[in-house]
Amino acid sequence: MNSYYVINLLIYAAVDATACLGLNQQFGVAGVTNFGFIIFQAAGGYTAAILALPNQSANGGFQSYIGGWNLPFPLPWIGAAVVGGLIALPFTFLVGRRLRGDFAAVGLLVTAVLLNLLATNYRPLLNGDAGLSLIPQPLQGEYNPQSSGYQWVLAAVAIVVCALVYLFVRRITESPYGRSLRAMRDNDLVADSLGKSLLSLRTAMLVTGGAIAGLSGGILVSYITTWSPAAWGYAETVVLFAAVIIGGAGNHLGAILGAVLVPVGFEEVTRYIPTSNNLPPNLIPSLEWVAIGLLIVGFLWVRPQGILPERKRVIKTAALSPAGAPRAAGGLDTLSSPDTLGTPDAPSTGSGSPAASATPVPLAPTATSVGSSASSTFGAPSNPFATLPSFTPPVRSAAQAPSTAAERTPGPEIVLEAIDVTREFGGVRAVAGVSFAVRRGTMTGLIGPNGAGKSTLLAMLAGTLPVSSGHIRYEGEDVTRLPAYRRARLGLVRTFQLASEFKRLTVLENLLSAVPGNRGDSFRGALAGPRYWRADEAAAIARAQVLLAQFGLEGHANSYAGDLSGGQRRLVEIMRALMAEPRVLLLDEPMAGVHPNLARRIGNELTALCAGGLTVLMVEHELAIMDEFCDPVVAMAEGAVLAEGTMAELRSRTEVVEAYLVG
Amino acid sequence: MTIFLASLGFGLVTASVLAIAAIGFTLQFGVTDVLNLAYGAVMIAGAFIAYVINQAGLNIWAGLVVAVAACSAGSVLLNAGVYTPFQRRGASPITMVIVSLGMTLIIEFGVAAIAGGTSVSYTMSQGPSVHAGGLVLSTVQLVVIGLSLLVMAGTHVLLRYTRLGKAMRATAANRTLARNCGIRTGRVISATWAITGGLCGLAGVVFAMDAGSFGPTSTDLFLILILAAVFLGGPGQAYGAMLGAVIIGLATEISAAYITPDYKYVIAFVALLVMLGVRPTGLLGARL
Repeated sequence: MNSYYVINLLIYAAVDATACLGLNQQFGVAGVTNFGFIIFQAAGGYTAAILALPNQSANGGFQSYIGGWNLPFPLPWIGAAVVGGLIALPFTFLVGRRLRGDFAAVGLLVTAVLLNLLATNYRPLLNGDAGLSLIPQPLQGEYNPQSSGYQWVLAAVAIVVCALVYLFVRRITESPYGRSLRAMRDNDLVADSLGKSLLSLRTAMLVTGGAIAGLSGGILVSYITTWSPAAWGYAETVVLFAAVIIGGAGNHLGAILGAVLVPVGFEEVTRYIPTSNNLPPNLIPSLEWVAIGLLIVGFLWVRPQGILPERKRVIKTAALSPAGAPRAAGGLDTLSSPDTLGTPDAPSTGSGSPAASATPVPLAPTATSVGSSASSTFGAPSNPFATLPSFTPPVRSAAQAPSTAAERTPGPEIVLEAIDVTREFGGVRAVAGVSFAVRRGTMTGLIGPNGAGKSTLLAMLAGTLPVSSGHIRYEGEDVTRLPAYRRARLGLVRTFQLASEFKRLTVLENLLSAVPGNRGDSFRGALAGPRYWRADEAAAIARAQVLLAQFGLEGHANSYAGDLSGGQRRLVEIMRALMAEPRVLLLDEPMAGVHPNLARRIGNELTALCAGGLTVLMVEHELAIMDEFCDPVVAMAEGAVLAEGTMAELRSRTEVVEAYLVG
Repeated sequence: MTIFLASLGFGLVTASVLAIAAIGFTLQFGVTDVLNLAYGAVMIAGAFIAYVINQAGLNIWAGLVVAVAACSAGSVLLNAGVYTPFQRRGASPITMVIVSLGMTLIIEFGVAAIAGGTSVSYTMSQGPSVHAGGLVLSTVQLVVIGLSLLVMAGTHVLLRYTRLGKAMRATAANRTLARNCGIRTGRVISATWAITGGLCGLAGVVFAMDAGSFGPTSTDLFLILILAAVFLGGPGQAYGAMLGAVIIGLATEISAAYITPDYKYVIAFVALLVMLGVRPTGLLGARL
């Protein structure tokens, strides 16, 4: 084993690992399936080449290319990263909310195939099929690139770059911003409804991953000194995907492991296959591709989480004060026992609860004060959130408004209004010209038989579905054209009828993901590091803990939300929506699958919040809940509002009763 | 003018091949909900099966029949052995696309491993040329156009007038609802794989005839044309795929005559990206 062989191995491993880290950040962490990933590596390779190469006439003119600036190291590498990031921008139109993820992936794949075809056939730009060669190596004027010392240093630099990229992506992933990315990966529609801009998150990931891919391409051409279309066929992307899937999508160390196993491993294994004898020349490379295909399909079937699965982010929380915690836990065990029965998560529940209670040291001053205030108000029907400093601002501003509004109108001020709203699905009018208003501080119910258009209406109010015609007004503003995430940021937050927890986030992470205004929940904030956002995070954790205690899920704080029972998941969704600091909360069948006693408790909590200024619009089939908590109640049937009033009033209206019985 | 007529002739043939392929692809996606990127790989497998029969001394049309049957059976197996198990587990659409990409590698390079990397051609006669209003088409080209028209008419009859076709449309629109209405969606989906697999094999052979010589990776680029035709018409829409195939087939060949043939895929590519970005439901709007 000579040193050349080892150096070659190290550099390839470093380059492939760097690329896999970029892809893992996009695909494993953020769920952006970039089937055109190789385009970005190719762009980096070409950029580094034409920046480092002298003018095309200088080396005999046997190859034609643009540029040829003969720039010194490290400018070609920097240029490679910059161009790799910039060419991601044209692709952002594919990754907004409108387009299905698999369609976007196909678009990127086709782009990779086509760009390779163009680069092959169009010679003036980048020398076409033959590609670029004789690319100068870094500092080759000062040192001898053939010397083994030079090559060792190059390998070391490549490894250092890879390590830096690892630290970079880890810093992003382990921040509140990274949590938003993972939330988007698990359920983009829900992330959107909680105020995450899918377009900007995905754009950031395309650019970040593109820059990393470009850098890896730049390093590669500096070593191999050639770059041609044959080096970046669309199938090379599939190899990198195989590496990330096998290593463990979402785990950056897994991505590095995958890079060593798949691209590097395949290259090395085939060296030991005898090349002589009478095998057809194409057989071995073809079988390699077959093997990569088999590995992808096989791993997705047998071990979809990869060799090194994404690790669970256990957040050590300060224990609640002893007086409150046992009471909360005890009360909840009886209440939620029907839900917890048969929960497949018994072991992780066990592992989660010690973490929640084993650390008596408070995380931050706020944690203790919040904890004690929660324990004192626990169980009392008054608003338990009123004492929460972080929850007060929206509630206070909302609470001030009714007094002025009351002078003008008999009831409280209208906060949310649908004006002649219609939604059509291929000729079927699911909602046909609905107008109604929700008043501040009320808990308004929305009932009606299946297919009445309740969920469709809710979706239009929240912006998850566009209206076919009509207007939505929220706090006096026309929000009809505002996307869901913008409405959520204004305090108009919804939950979903179907299970919509972020499965591979813990319960606590689910709650934290919804918190607006965390300093770490932006690309810059994430890069600034934990010290920049730790205080915000601690405050958010404290708030989440209070909620968890209130709804009796503190024992599950560090369980994966996807492992909970159906009823518990509903609770997570309601708590998560509350964490988003809503002023108007749109709940789509929040009590479905929840034990009646627990449903009543949720109702009491919401009533208390409404007294503090929150407004709730709730779709629910359980009329007993409506009776007890909702006033007024709106009845819908066949896409139209039938009647509005208290439940008692509605019961006396024959058309409402008929709609229910007949519809 | 002669250039235009000649390219129009090529365009008609390309559109015909494309229509067969695109109808199969779009029905497959619409009914089974699998965006099967391995479609191009199955096509080329069919083309090579016909080649093997052809090399054994039989007529290429016999090879075509065998290829259709083999691809039909192969697609049913592909679904039953790979896609359905993944779907039953609740695999996301993205996982399904990645699986189909893995299957693409397995099938395409499996063919390459057996057939070798070189290009091959069928042993067949193009038949006498036919002149029609300035167009010059060989008999084989006319047969391809005829086959394509037959497939379009057959698709229309299938979807409009047969129980199976109606069940396919119902399954495409809402699988759960269809099952609750007493439609055996499992069988409908298997039947869909059989039909679309057969179309895929047919498309593979006529593609190979039209191309003259072909290799294991020849359909990589043709898949772009298929996707463009499918997305132009709206994914899942049979009539949209026919319309898309005619537009893409004619546009690529006619532009190739005036610009350079190397870039004929660019038009299809641009059409695909515009549709994806602006109107992913296609020109014809709603569902199947």
